[in-house]
Amino acid sequence: MKKLPAPNVDFSSFFTPKDVLCRTALTLREEVIRELLTMLALNHGIGNVDEAFQTVMEREDAESTAIADGVAIPHARLSDLHKLVVAIATSVHGVRFTGGRPANLIILILAPKDSPALYLQALSSLARICSDKNMPETVKKLETAEDVWKFFARGGIILPPYVCAGDIMARNPVAIKDTDTLKRAIDLLVRHKLIDLPVVDKDGDLVGSVSAIELLRVCLPDYILWMDDLSPIINFEPFASVLRNESNTWLAEIMSREYVAVREDEPAIQVAKEITKTHLRQAYVTRDKKLVGVITLPQFVNKVLRE
Amino acid sequence: MSVKTIMPRSAEAQMGARALIAVAVSILSGVFARMLGFHAAQQILAASIFALIISATVFFWNFRLAIAFIGIAILLGARVLSLEEMVRFAELDIILFLVGMMTMVGVLKDLGLFTWVIQIVINMRRMNGWTFTIVLGLISALMACVMDEVTSILFVLALVFQVCDTLKLNPMPFVMIAVISTNIGSSGTMLGNPVGILIGTKAGFGFADFLIWATPVMLVSLLVAMAVVLIFYKKEIRLLSERLEARRQMQLGLGPLVRVPFRRGLVILITAITFIGLHHRIELALGVAKNTMLIVAPLAIAGVLMIYRHKRARHYIESEVEWWTLLFFMMLFSVAGALENTGVTAGIAERFSRFFGHNVTVLTPLILVMTALGSAFVDNIVFVAAFIPIVKSLGETPLWWALLFGACFGGNITAIGSTANIVALGMMEKRYRTQGTFAAWLKFGVLIGVVTCGVAWLAILLLTPFMPPVGR
Repeated sequence: MKKLPAPNVDFSSFFTPKDVLCRTALTLREEVIRELLTMLALNHGIGNVDEAFQTVMEREDAESTAIADGVAIPHARLSDLHKLVVAIATSVHGVRFTGGRPANLIILILAPKDSPALYLQALSSLARICSDKNMPETVKKLETAEDVWKFFARGGIILPPYVCAGDIMARNPVAIKDTDTLKRAIDLLVRHKLIDLPVVDKDGDLVGSVSAIELLRVCLPDYILWMDDLSPIINFEPFASVLRNESNTWLAEIMSREYVAVREDEPAIQVAKEITKTHLRQAYVTRDKKLVGVITLPQFVNKVLRE
Repeated sequence: MSVKTIMPRSAEAQMGARALIAVAVSILSGVFARMLGFHAAQQILAASIFALIISATVFFWNFRLAIAFIGIAILLGARVLSLEEMVRFAELDIILFLVGMMTMVGVLKDLGLFTWVIQIVINMRRMNGWTFTIVLGLISALMACVMDEVTSILFVLALVFQVCDTLKLNPMPFVMIAVISTNIGSSGTMLGNPVGILIGTKAGFGFADFLIWATPVMLVSLLVAMAVVLIFYKKEIRLLSERLEARRQMQLGLGPLVRVPFRRGLVILITAITFIGLHHRIELALGVAKNTMLIVAPLAIAGVLMIYRHKRARHYIESEVEWWTLLFFMMLFSVAGALENTGVTAGIAERFSRFFGHNVTVLTPLILVMTALGSAFVDNIVFVAAFIPIVKSLGETPLWWALLFGACFGGNITAIGSTANIVALGMMEKRYRTQGTFAAWLKFGVLIGVVTCGVAWLAILLLTPFMPPVGR
C-alpha cells in the first residue's frame, strides 16, 4: 500500500520550478507532453518516457483533458511510479487540445497506478482555481518558472484528505420534475439513453427516481409473472394500457423512493459502498438536498479504476 | 435512504440470550414434567425435546428444522423412540397429501388461474373501499379453504400490494385483513390448513364432515370478523375509496390486464376438489380404509398434472413443494408421537379430566381458549400435535372442533401466531423495508381473536347436541 498524502498537502509540493516549462514556444500538444515527460524523467525518474508518452496520449485520445477554457490536465497512471509527480507548461499562444480553446496552462499529472485516489485528489484540489475564468490569462503572463511555481504555492491549493462524491460526479444531470408525466419520463430515458432518471420537486430537491426496470415492473406485476405461459403477453399486451395512459399518468405514480443519494462532500467511497449494497446502478449527489450531480457505475469505474 | 444498521455485538448477545431461554425452557419443561409426576427418564426427555422445538419456533424460526433434526436424533439415541416408531409417527400420509396439494397449486399458478382471480378484482367495476375489503376477505378465506394458507397468502398479498402501491396507500391494514381472513378461512375445509388434515385424519373426520361442521362456523366467524374489520379500519377504507375514485376519474385502472386462458386451471381445480370431496364415497365403493382416497386424491391429481406438464414436473416438485416446512412437520409429529408413546400425553389427559371433569360444556371453551392462546405464540401445528392425544383420550367430538377453531383463530392474535402472519410480515418487510410491530398487530389481533373464538364457542355449543360421536 502506498501511503496516502497526509492531510493538508499543498499541490505545489508535488513539483519544483525545475518541473515548469514557462512560456513554451511549442504549439502541438504531443510536443508539449513529450517535453514535460522528458523533464520529469530527468528530475524524478519516471521509467521509460516513450511508454509514459503512449499512456498519456491513449488517455488523451479517449477523452480530452481540456477541463476548462485554457486549461488542460493530461494525466496517466504509471506502474513504475511510486509517487505523484507534476509538470507544468504555460504558453502565451496556447496549445491546441481537443475541444475548448487552446490551453495556456498545461498541467501534466503522473500518478502511481495503484493509488486511485491520489490523482483524483490532486485534480479536485485544482477545481477551484480552474473555475476562475481569468486564471489562464494570469498564468500565461507569468515570466519565469519560479513565478509559476509561486502562483501555485501562494494559491493555497490543498489536496483534500479524500476524494469526495462531488469530485467524481457528472454535473447537471438530466432530471425530471415530480409533476411531469410518464410520457416525458419515457421520452427522456430514450433520448438520453438512460436507465434511471432522478426526480426532483419544484425546489430542485431530490425526491425519487424513475428507472427503466421500475417501468417494466409496472407493466409486468407479480400476478402476471406467475404465469409460465407467455402467450397472453407475447405481444407486450400489458404495456398497451400503460402506453395508452402515459400522458395522464403522473410520475408520482411510478416513482421509486429507493435510490442512493450521497452528499457532495461525502467521501466518494461511500458511493461505491451504497451502490454495492443496493445493487442500484448509480448514485445521485446532493447539496442541501438539491440534486447537483450523478455518478453512474460505468463513470465510477472509469474515474476510480482507470482515468 | 434508510439503511438498517445491524450491530453485530448486540445481535450476537440477543442470539445468545435466546439460545439460553430456549435451553432453559427445555430444561424447565423436563423439571415441570417431573413435578407433574412423570418419573421415567424417557418421559422427561420427550417433554424437554418437545419444549425445545416449541421454543425453536418462537425464538429461532430459521433454525427450527435444524433443531428438530437434532431433537429427533437425541430421542432416537436415548431410546425414547425407535426408528420404526419415528417413521410411523411422522404421518407420512399427511406429508404426501400436502406434497400433492402443493404440486397442484404450482401447476394452477403456472396456468394463470391466480392471475385470473386477481385480475377479476382489479377489473371490478364500481369497486370502492368497502367492496374491496369484503372481496379481499372473501377471496382470502376462499383461497385458504382450497390450498394451504402460506400459498394463498402469497397470492392475496400480491393483490393487496398491487392495489395499495397503485393508490399509494399504507398496505398494513389490508395485509392484516387478508391475513385474518386467511387464518379464519383455513379452518373451513380439510385442505385449508395442515392442522385441518391432521385433526381430520386423527379424529376420523372426512371432507364432508368438515363441510357440515366446520365450513358454516368458519363462514359465520368470517362475517363477524369482517364487520369488525369494516368498523375498525373505516378511515383507511374510506381513503381507499377516495383514491380509487380519483384514479377512476383519470380513467386509470389498478394495473395492467391481460387475457388469461384460465379455463384449464379452473377445470383442474374444480375436478380436483370434487374428486377430493367425494373421497368418502369412492372409499366405500372401493372398500378401502377411511380417508385413504382423501390422501391419495391430491397425489393422483398431481401425478396426472405432472404428465400433462412434464417439462415443468421437476420444477413443481423441487420448487413449489415446501420441503423445509414438510420436513419440519415430520420431525415435529415424531416428537409429538414420542410424547404419546411414553405416556406423557395420556398422563396429562388423565390429569386434565381429573381436574376439569368430563363435562363437554366446560371442556369445549377450555380447549378452545387454551389452543387459541397457545397458537397465538407457538406455531399452531406444534400445539395441535401435542393436544391431539389429549383430545383423543377425552373422546368427545366437539373438542376436536374446538381444537381446530382454537388453532386457526388463535393464530390471528399475534404477529407470529401462524405461518401466514409470519410470511405476510416477511413480505411487507422485504418490499417496504418496514417492520410491522408486534404491539400494533396485538391491538387488532386480540380483538379479532376474542370475537371469532366467541363465535366458534357459541356455534360449537349450539351444534354439540347434533354431533355424532367420534370413532364411528
